[in-house]
Amino acid sequence: MRKTVIEPNGKNFQYWKDIWNYRELALNLAKRDIVVRYKQTRIGLGWALIAPIISTIVSTFIFGTLANLSTDGSAPYFIMVFAGNTAWTMFSRSLTTSSSTFIMNANIMKKVYYPRILSPIGAELAYLVDALISMAMLIIMMLVVGYYPTVRMLLFPVFLFLNLVLGMAFGLFLSAFNIKFRDLAQIIPFAVSIWQYITPVVYSVDSIPEKYRLLYSLNPAAGFVNAFKWCIIGDMKFDWFTFLVAIGWTVVFVPCGIAAFRKSERTFVDLV
Amino acid sequence: MDERLKVLEIRNIKKKYVIKHIGKSENQTSVFEKVKAKLKSPEKEDFWALSGIDFDVYQGEKVGIIGKNGAGKSTLLKVISRITEPTDGRIEMLGTISSMLEVGTGFNGELTGRENIYLNGAILGMTKAEVDRKFDEIVEFSEVGKFIDTPVKRYSSGMFVRLAFAVASTLESDILLVDEVLAVGDSRFQKKCIDKMKDIASSGRTILFVSHQMNTIRQLCDRVIVLNEGKVIYNGDVEGGIRVYNSEAYTQKSNYVEFADLPRPVGYNLDKAEILSLQILENEPCIFEADESIKFRLHIKTKVENIGDLSFRILIWQADETPVEIAFTKTFANINDVREFDVDVSINDHNLAPGLYKATIILSGGKSTANSENLDYVYPAFIFEVLHSDGTSRSWPRQWGRSHFDDVDVQLVEDGNAQ
Repeated sequence: MRKTVIEPNGKNFQYWKDIWNYRELALNLAKRDIVVRYKQTRIGLGWALIAPIISTIVSTFIFGTLANLSTDGSAPYFIMVFAGNTAWTMFSRSLTTSSSTFIMNANIMKKVYYPRILSPIGAELAYLVDALISMAMLIIMMLVVGYYPTVRMLLFPVFLFLNLVLGMAFGLFLSAFNIKFRDLAQIIPFAVSIWQYITPVVYSVDSIPEKYRLLYSLNPAAGFVNAFKWCIIGDMKFDWFTFLVAIGWTVVFVPCGIAAFRKSERTFVDLV
Repeated sequence: MDERLKVLEIRNIKKKYVIKHIGKSENQTSVFEKVKAKLKSPEKEDFWALSGIDFDVYQGEKVGIIGKNGAGKSTLLKVISRITEPTDGRIEMLGTISSMLEVGTGFNGELTGRENIYLNGAILGMTKAEVDRKFDEIVEFSEVGKFIDTPVKRYSSGMFVRLAFAVASTLESDILLVDEVLAVGDSRFQKKCIDKMKDIASSGRTILFVSHQMNTIRQLCDRVIVLNEGKVIYNGDVEGGIRVYNSEAYTQKSNYVEFADLPRPVGYNLDKAEILSLQILENEPCIFEADESIKFRLHIKTKVENIGDLSFRILIWQADETPVEIAFTKTFANINDVREFDVDVSINDHNLAPGLYKATIILSGGKSTANSENLDYVYPAFIFEVLHSDGTSRSWPRQWGRSHFDDVDVQLVEDGNAQ
């Protein structure tokens, strides 16, 4: 028979085994999120298409046409924006939902045990489905305008996933503070919307003046958004520097985020 | 040594909560002072919801956990079910464990009954294969029938809890923690739930069951643990536990009671007279031996003139609200002005059997016995325990009734002729 030991200070030797035992729950939570998000709407999952298309049209008009920002390689501006948005949305949604996971799921977490990390994982999986729908849309648009994807395209799941992981790592790290300082729930979405402008979503890194480039490249989000755009835009060059910076942030923040999350999941029920 | 398999071992479990008091001073009139008070770090106080819990549970046992509100029952279940962590101590469990602390956890109104069954099943730790296997049983038990593909937000509250209970009750874990969830649905469904729990109980699984319903505890459990202020104060057979629980729940700590905040029955607006307080005389706390008089002092206030003759009726109830005795007092005073005064009451020869009782005091007044009206009604006026005349509280069989004759003459009659 399975033996479980409960002791204070998180001496839980079967943490990862528990997560494995409950793995189906993550899929169920993801399914719930998708069904609930689109069920009541007339066009259902169509919203996963419409939202990125509209924001691409608006960005293309404002940043591409009015502000005349540069694109990467020879890609049409709107293709570059669409790709950038898909990667950025994955990153930012991962961050915001993970950071508020204790508060959003308090009612369930107060009443039943399951490995808490499955809540943000489930939510991220649901957003992954949205991202895949966007990708399908992007490929169709590329075929329509005759800007054909290259073999690099096959790597997009890797970079999409890295965006998810890094966003989630930051989110998990912040979730610990979100319980005690509810102001963070207001600050995070605001900070994220500003962060988008210092990330190469609607413009090319090349348009950043050389002297600011080093500083700019420290932005943790830049590397994976860039890398994602690279696999879609055939003649863009891979920016190793921002990529390695982002890998560095990931290597540091994934363990930090998980550790912070594990520390607060032990007793957050007493605080909310 | 006990041959049975020990499936749960709880050792010295403690749980501390930190309570913060925001400093509140009386003269926070200016904005400046208010801000200052807010910035001052709140005073912290430790509260021990559990202060050292020890017990073992063996395979197949059905253990009832009872105690007053705030005794620590729910905290204990939360710690055992890993919802929150203990501050100190150690628990070892064998086998799978699942908890029903609430039915319908994670149910989503937008999802259909079917979708919710799978989601809730997963939250409770079931695999899809398990839910598949149990699906028909769940639907049948819940009686939602053709509404299974309707979003649950359109369900009646009865349908909702029936479905929720049905999912939770199919859990196949080795140890099941249950908190009061049986109180769902109408009385017919409640009975069905209890029968289901009995089935689960007789299937050899281990159950820890928290409830305030002593009848349910009697039906389901074969051992009882009584908690009080975060400690185990009793661990043993069911009837003994319920007796301890009753005495814990009802023992009056103080021998002085004020009635200002006590709600009165409808129709008593206390505009003529009011019983303000009661002081038990001599005995502290309210424990009397069988032949002892129950003495107390009432503080009464009249609010209008010419109330006239005052008298009491004193009713004695058992702890479970069965009426036992009544006393009608003589007119004790004739009060015709507005004032406050004390009255001493002594109930002699009450003849009550050992046990726990509650008293009601009704104050009436009027110009004559014929037009006397009830002025105040305090219940419970006080709660008291009667012991055997030898000072013990050993049990008094139910079939003996609640009072006894204390003066019965018995004489041996020789040759059929009275002396």
